[in-house]
Amino acid sequence: MARRARRPIADGHVSTAAVVSAIKESGSTRSPLRIAGRSTWLDAGRPVRANKTLSLRDDSGVVIYVPGDLTLTVRAGTSLSEIERVTREHDQWLPLDPYGSNDGTIGATIATASAGPLASSFGLPRDLLLGLEFVNGRGEVVRGGGKVVKNVAGFDLSRLLTGSWGTLGVITEVTVRLYARPQADRSFVIRLAANEKESNAFLRPFLAASFSPYALELLSASAAFALGLGERAVCLMRFGGNTAAVDAQLNAVSRIAGVEEVETSVWEALRTLEMGSGCVIRVTGLPGEFRSVSASMLMEQPSGILNYIDPARGVLRLVVQAPNEHEESKESVFGISTDMPPDERVVYETLPADVWSEVSPSVVADPLSRGIRKAYDPHDILNPGILGD
Amino acid sequence: MRSGIAERLAEIVGERHVLSRPSELLVYNSDGLPGYRRQPRLAVFPGTREETIAVVRLLADEGLPFVPRGAGTGLSGGALADDIVVIGLHRLKKILSLDVANRRATVEPGVVNLRLNKHVAPHGLLYAPDPSSEAACTIGGNVAENAGGPHCLKYGVTLNHVLAMTVVLPSGEVVELGSKVGERDGYDLRGAFIGSEGCFGLALDITVKLMTKPQAVRTLLADFTSVDQAAHVTSAIIASGIVPAALEFMDGPTIRVVEDSIYAAGYPRDAEAILLIELDGLEAGVSADLEAVRRICLDGGARNVKVARDDAERMKLWQGRKKAFGAMGRLAPHLIVQDAVIPRTRLPDILATIRAIGEKYGVVVCNVFHAGDGNLHPNIAYSADDPAESERVHKAMTEIMQACIDAGGSITGEHGVGLDKMGYMESIFSESSLNAMCELRAVFDPERRSNPGKVVPVHACKEWHAVPGGRLRMDT
Repeated sequence: MARRARRPIADGHVSTAAVVSAIKESGSTRSPLRIAGRSTWLDAGRPVRANKTLSLRDDSGVVIYVPGDLTLTVRAGTSLSEIERVTREHDQWLPLDPYGSNDGTIGATIATASAGPLASSFGLPRDLLLGLEFVNGRGEVVRGGGKVVKNVAGFDLSRLLTGSWGTLGVITEVTVRLYARPQADRSFVIRLAANEKESNAFLRPFLAASFSPYALELLSASAAFALGLGERAVCLMRFGGNTAAVDAQLNAVSRIAGVEEVETSVWEALRTLEMGSGCVIRVTGLPGEFRSVSASMLMEQPSGILNYIDPARGVLRLVVQAPNEHEESKESVFGISTDMPPDERVVYETLPADVWSEVSPSVVADPLSRGIRKAYDPHDILNPGILGD
Repeated sequence: MRSGIAERLAEIVGERHVLSRPSELLVYNSDGLPGYRRQPRLAVFPGTREETIAVVRLLADEGLPFVPRGAGTGLSGGALADDIVVIGLHRLKKILSLDVANRRATVEPGVVNLRLNKHVAPHGLLYAPDPSSEAACTIGGNVAENAGGPHCLKYGVTLNHVLAMTVVLPSGEVVELGSKVGERDGYDLRGAFIGSEGCFGLALDITVKLMTKPQAVRTLLADFTSVDQAAHVTSAIIASGIVPAALEFMDGPTIRVVEDSIYAAGYPRDAEAILLIELDGLEAGVSADLEAVRRICLDGGARNVKVARDDAERMKLWQGRKKAFGAMGRLAPHLIVQDAVIPRTRLPDILATIRAIGEKYGVVVCNVFHAGDGNLHPNIAYSADDPAESERVHKAMTEIMQACIDAGGSITGEHGVGLDKMGYMESIFSESSLNAMCELRAVFDPERRSNPGKVVPVHACKEWHAVPGGRLRMDT
């Protein structure tokens, strides 16, 4: 029975061959392509110099899924919600929860290296990816990595393509590691004190304590309010594992603070909160830096600005909602983005297109990155401009 | 050789850190896989970061190829230098910084895994990747090979634990890859460098993530009267959703070799297979998993399931596993070890195939491996001096590898391609995939002077067909 499942059962309308011919045609006419998955949430206002779009949205479906192997090979256009549905039937999951909606594709998630709250315990896309197939800028089909959980054969092209935003090749197939769904998966909030001092006095020792949540986010009062979690900043936690481990952690947390259980669907609500916003900035740093400054960043925020902090991973997300609707908030986007230090640790995820070019520096300007780009996309036809190049 | 290269290297590192007499170089003519021998021309051992950069720059100026080498414990012939320069990095062994609050450390490439772990242990921390050679192998070598180890089942391989590196490229240019202080956007050059087997340059320092020591650790030994039962139990544990910290498999021949050696761990000599299973995490969670795993083992036909009572007993059980390859030395002078990875549900049938292949060629294949990952290490002790035996061994190994490839597996899970598995690269990668690897390498090392002739067969590289091979040798 397992053997049968190995047979490719992808049923999309696009194939690797179609991607090859689209790229070859673009190469011969030197007309650049914008590479898109389902165009749902990853576009982010980045400037791309292209007049045609190559969409992978119809190239979807499972290629190989043998549940006992805890690996899954799918076409790149497969949506995260489809992966969720297919794996849930076998009580498994792909613990990859990038900000945005589950309508987005796995190909785009890998191409943009997008991650979410679960990253602090399950890792980034680079950690869950086992292998991929892509088509480079010359229209050649290339495979990196493999389909098994451990593999060091050859140079690591799958890590190279992760986060390359389509500029080194169009990802057509992806193999990822799966996990069995935990026996227990429960979420809780702790409401933080309204004043910074009190809040910090709680947070510092709390965050240093030895819990091992699946996810822990500190949400600004504005974000908590948007999620219907009250009017104060909160600590939102997700514990998973066997029932005994989850109960033990919950007991330990309860001894320190008042906790209230919430639906686990709150995480999906959090991830989609920023959809439609005009500005998302990710500031990364050492976990300790966030432990000590977190309270001040969560308290007073101008309206329309949301903050979430993942102190274990060392990431702050700063979201400015709907800047295009209000001139005032557009000003604030520009203010915030130009106030950010010109630091490799500040990553712009979404910006209004006209602001983008002014604040976002090229992240592939170093000679190694330029050399790789030139080798893989010699005609400069894959998403040119998307990385500020 | 152009006159005076040894002298000029000696000016950088001091005379006693350059070896050029063939007798002195003997120890560098093999690595952990003694079936391969290559005689280096020179070996140079820089003692500082500055000396390392100066050595690489001198070799760049002279257009000379070189092979970086850590502790030489690799199992793929990757650190062998065929009549060229070895740059040994074992003197670069400073732990440069330890940041307990942020759980990270920066080390020089010659720091030995176990030493890093001893250094961070008092702070309740550990560095997860634990190759069986952890008492000798270096973090720099781990980075080159993307090394694994038993505990990679739960915690991932080197790739998942390295945050940043300072690298000297073969040109002598120094670059930072990754970020010590956050997450960086742009191409994952750190990811590309890890596992590049010394072909992209040398790491001068490496910043690694450390983990908090788990609250509880339990180690179980389950023994079986058939290999097949143990293989099915492995699949059942993985499918149950429990992620053990390690799940190791040893078959009967391996058990008996270990028990006859100084590493005897008290494994039952009459068993046909044992599973060594470690569970870790929060006390409450581990106890529940322990019961579940014990039940799966007994339901799957285990004769006994023994739980180590204390750390001493745990260490003893692990000692037998980690020293198993060493114990094989009792059987014959040479050892051939494979490192294929197969989909985990294929374990029972591939083990049966391996046994049949061994019988067909009249060789005893020992199996000691990371069962939870499907990472096999079939190995055969033999004498390379007996041509007839060598031929049978190599034929058996080729057939075993083919069976693993046919099952959808990989040719190497943690040992690297090196020299040993280069011949298999074309059976798992297409011409265009191999060419893409060559192109990536060409960006880091356009003259392919760093560890030449490894990993990707040169004829697979389109652009390089015309490169004169003579340049790779150092002519006198």
